[in-house]
Amino acid sequence: MRQGFWIILRTELFSLFISPATYISTFYFLALLGVGFRFFIESFPATNWILPPLSSLVLGLLFGAPALVPFLTMRTIAEERRLGTLETLMSAPINASAIILGKWSACYVFFLVICCGAYAYPLIILLIFPEQALSLGFNNIEHWVGGFVFLMSFGASFSAIGIYASSVTKNQMVAGMLSFSLIALYLSIMVFSYGEPVVNNNIDSLRQLFYTVGGSLNKGLDKINFFAVGIIHFQTILHQIIVVLFFLSLGTLQIEKIRH
Amino acid sequence: MSSNSRPLPIIEVLNLKKRYGLIQALKGISFSVGKGEIVGFLGPNGAGKSTTLKILSGLIPADSGEAKVCGVDLAEEDGEVRNHIGFLPENNPLPEDLRVIEYLKFRAMLKGLRGSRKRDRIRIALDICDLERKVSERKIGNLSKGYRQRVGIADALLAEPRLVILDEPTIGLDPRQSAITRKMMERLRGEITFLLSSHLLSEVEACCDRMVILSHGQIVAEGTLPELQKAYINKTVFEIVALASKIDIQRHVRSIDESCELIQDEPVEVSGKKRFIFSTNQGEVYAEKVLKHLIKIPEMKVFEFQIERPDLETIFLRATKKNWEKNDLLGKKSRRFRKDDQD
Repeated sequence: MRQGFWIILRTELFSLFISPATYISTFYFLALLGVGFRFFIESFPATNWILPPLSSLVLGLLFGAPALVPFLTMRTIAEERRLGTLETLMSAPINASAIILGKWSACYVFFLVICCGAYAYPLIILLIFPEQALSLGFNNIEHWVGGFVFLMSFGASFSAIGIYASSVTKNQMVAGMLSFSLIALYLSIMVFSYGEPVVNNNIDSLRQLFYTVGGSLNKGLDKINFFAVGIIHFQTILHQIIVVLFFLSLGTLQIEKIRH
Repeated sequence: MSSNSRPLPIIEVLNLKKRYGLIQALKGISFSVGKGEIVGFLGPNGAGKSTTLKILSGLIPADSGEAKVCGVDLAEEDGEVRNHIGFLPENNPLPEDLRVIEYLKFRAMLKGLRGSRKRDRIRIALDICDLERKVSERKIGNLSKGYRQRVGIADALLAEPRLVILDEPTIGLDPRQSAITRKMMERLRGEITFLLSSHLLSEVEACCDRMVILSHGQIVAEGTLPELQKAYINKTVFEIVALASKIDIQRHVRSIDESCELIQDEPVEVSGKKRFIFSTNQGEVYAEKVLKHLIKIPEMKVFEFQIERPDLETIFLRATKKNWEKNDLLGKKSRRFRKDDQD
């Protein structure tokens, strides 16, 4: 299975890197993000933004993801289903989970590459205008690492949602729209507050885990407050891992269902 | 190859059943295929050929019954059987945007081939399928149907499989390309076991050692061509071209074999010679006896003699006819019952 996973990952990455569609969508996405970041940095002293300015880039990537991720994931399985190549793929010694995991990993890696591309903006400012960069706190490595870990955790779950959306239909456009809707819905769930969590030390460990994970949904995006200053909030990462596993399992089941 | 002297089985199927919703695609089929054999799977549309081939290639599970491929029980394995087989699915779906060589490299790696072995196997597969270097550098999406089919077959042959399953390998190909596919199978005859399904009866007749005829999810006939001819055609038909009258020739023929009957009312006459078509219940041996007898009679002047062997198409139609009628009758019956219920 491991061997199949690596081969699928390599091939998918290769097809993402040679596809003009991914380059066009990435270019527009990064260009828009860059313009937004520039205006934010310019007007930063006049705002009452309490987080480090670098976090604006992270939030820009996060809220832009519903538009970006579908471009990366919509083709993956929907196109294989449309062409019938999924059957050919399954005739090789490889199982459904390796296919799903390989395709998800490729999209995830590409998403991280785009994030790295976005991080080039503050890096350029740091190199060309070091004084301004210092005043904006771009020299704090923990801000960079924290923000990137936040993006890594959310990027993983967004890609998993995209892969699942691609597995349920043969039509790329439908897969893209479904992916957009699901990620937007997920983000909107994470934005709202559902009341303050109950702290109870007498409950068993399983329920404790349930509350911890459920609690991370509550004002989930506010957890950027931790990541932006370099504090790694493990509950958020655990929560995203569970979301990833959930949607990848659904995708695997979907492929198994097609087989039967 | 007679069924008694069949080599060790590489496929063993016993009472295999598969249902898709309300449709019973396979109704308990049993057959076996020996090592090195080329077996043709024949049947009308919806007979269950593709379902059987997909089950045997480990793509879909059967509902019940037993199927062993290369000694591996399909009910108990977890994709292991796919290491031993090469499979060409119906319509041969291929990724359009990859080059032939890239695709074969990808498939070779998926099948566990590495390094020099991978390179060698790709070279051999390209060679067997007559895919020259120029073609291997082209994008699959730009290839003709024939070349695409050859790419699919090259993929099936990559990992030195013990069994190659080809679902309609020559569908939509011109006669030349079909001949290339046949030539490829001929080259590998004895080394690899081939199980292929086809609608082209002439092709199955030309390259298969044995045939399995399916109809409505059941095996209606199985065996070599002579075995099937014997089982499904009980009359031998022979043709005589001679300078004789109808009455004379009938008299002489009947003196050897009383069961002989002239099929046409009036023989066809071409430049004074007459073409008579007889049928006999006694088999080819008696037809040959008739010829020997006629040659001895000088006034008969026999110019041509030919025993007509029934082709696979005739056998196919006869073998599936009974099953069709039965299933159609059942269909009519069930429709009638449903109508009665509604009334």
